[in-house]
Amino acid sequence: MADVRTETNALDLIASSAAAAQSRRRNVRIRNIGIGVAGFLTLLLVWKLGVIIMKVPPYILPAPEQVLVALWSGIAVSPASPLGWYLPLWSTMSNALLGFVIGASFGLLFGSLMAEFRAVETALMPYAFALQSLPKVAIAPLIVIWCGFGDGSKVAMAALLAFFPMLVNCFAGMRAAEVERLELMKSLSASRLETYYIVKLPSAAPYIFAGLDMGIVYALLGTIVAEFLGAQSGMGVAITKAQAVTDVAGVFAALVVLGVTGILLHLIVRWVERSVVHWANRGKH
Amino acid sequence: MSLATDAPGFAATATSAATRQRSARDPLIVVERLVKIYSTVAGDSVLALDNVDLTVRDGEFVCLVGPSGCGKTTLLRLLAGLDTADAGTSSLAGKALNGPSPEVGVVFQQSNLLPWFTVMQNVMLPLRVGGSSRDASKIAEIHKLLDIAGLKGFENKYPYELSGGMQQRAAIVRALARDPKLLLMDEPFGALDALTRERMNAELQRIWLASKKTVVLITHSIDEAIFLGDRVVVMSPRPGRIVRDLTVDVPRPRVAAETFGSPKHVALAREIRMLLE
Repeated sequence: MADVRTETNALDLIASSAAAAQSRRRNVRIRNIGIGVAGFLTLLLVWKLGVIIMKVPPYILPAPEQVLVALWSGIAVSPASPLGWYLPLWSTMSNALLGFVIGASFGLLFGSLMAEFRAVETALMPYAFALQSLPKVAIAPLIVIWCGFGDGSKVAMAALLAFFPMLVNCFAGMRAAEVERLELMKSLSASRLETYYIVKLPSAAPYIFAGLDMGIVYALLGTIVAEFLGAQSGMGVAITKAQAVTDVAGVFAALVVLGVTGILLHLIVRWVERSVVHWANRGKH
Repeated sequence: MSLATDAPGFAATATSAATRQRSARDPLIVVERLVKIYSTVAGDSVLALDNVDLTVRDGEFVCLVGPSGCGKTTLLRLLAGLDTADAGTSSLAGKALNGPSPEVGVVFQQSNLLPWFTVMQNVMLPLRVGGSSRDASKIAEIHKLLDIAGLKGFENKYPYELSGGMQQRAAIVRALARDPKLLLMDEPFGALDALTRERMNAELQRIWLASKKTVVLITHSIDEAIFLGDRVVVMSPRPGRIVRDLTVDVPRPRVAAETFGSPKHVALAREIRMLLE
């Protein structure tokens, strides 16, 4: 035993301990995935047993396999089919994303102006507060009056809902810029604009991404609400259509599609964030 | 006096720099009867600097020591143009210092590198802000400085990939990027461990001998002040006044192992310690 130990050199030890750490991490990941899958299967089982034992009629709560069938019937069709998820999802997504881009851009613009100019902050803060406290989906009927039943009202609702988290986070993030970094710029006689894009905007990046993360989900929410109030196409329409004929399995399937879409959008934002703000949360000196 | 014309100075080895005689011994900074009053949140006024006079000659290395809150940092901030004095004047090479100047480079307590920039982008920042980031000769000087600071090969690393000492060396390179006449350093090595700090002191001496800058450095460490300074200026507790101006008559380059125990060093350290008590 002692002989074996003396023969092992340090580099081998480091390599083997690194490999061990890596395999430990892999094992933890596999175990976590296992727990997730097991939990999901348990949920489906409880759902199924509940429906059978309590004799829940399918127009109240369909069994999981009925939802799966409804889901699949919308997937296994041509993308151009009016029966599939593709057309309504495309309609909802394109409106939500367009609204998101518009709302987030305005949020960034006004958040920056408020953080940069006290006068703008003083002038706009009361309105931002008032609108922030207002449940914004309550404005939806008004938006429909102004923008009609077409794509305009969907984009407007998405933009409105994406605007506020972006405004607030951009403002807070820029105000959180470290004094030492601002003084560095001052000592270099940097212009206001240089200080803005060299220090303040990057300082706010973690906040801005948190705002984008919220904003993208809110934009989807805003679009769906606007679609409920009246639309020709979209996931909101698919849900109300299914509801009209008490196709509860269809409603559930549409919710699954929306849920997966929301998660994917969130993951995309997080992925972009990790590559852009790679320096955040690293040891700083 | 651009870095390019000083190129031989950079090439100077430590030994030849030791015997180098500075011909320009004219005053570079003249501070006269400087007063700074801060108002606290509670509405009180605090006298931070009380009629401070200080003259620093061209090429000199001056260390400021004093108890916490004695106004050392205030004095440095005034020289850096980050604050304005309430009375008195300060001038650099005959010109009044009333705000940030390209002739002044600042090294902060923390390295204060921007984490979203690489080392190269960080040290280029003063040139970028000054609008001369495409000047080939200046970029060549930056590379020379990075080499002197032992950062060659780390240009494309991010600050979080460097050790604390390397980060602080990058901060020094950044402060030298515009080839300023004056380098202001506010406890640049305070956040480093004792051994790294000692090594950084030697590195700073080397960089200083090679670049011929005038340096004003704030420190809490008496040993650091005596090791680095041509002069050690001792300040009193608030309100900040200069109580003693000591000359450190030890030839360069100084070697920590030789100077720290030497009678001169010990005597100076004792004198400063008594002034601070």
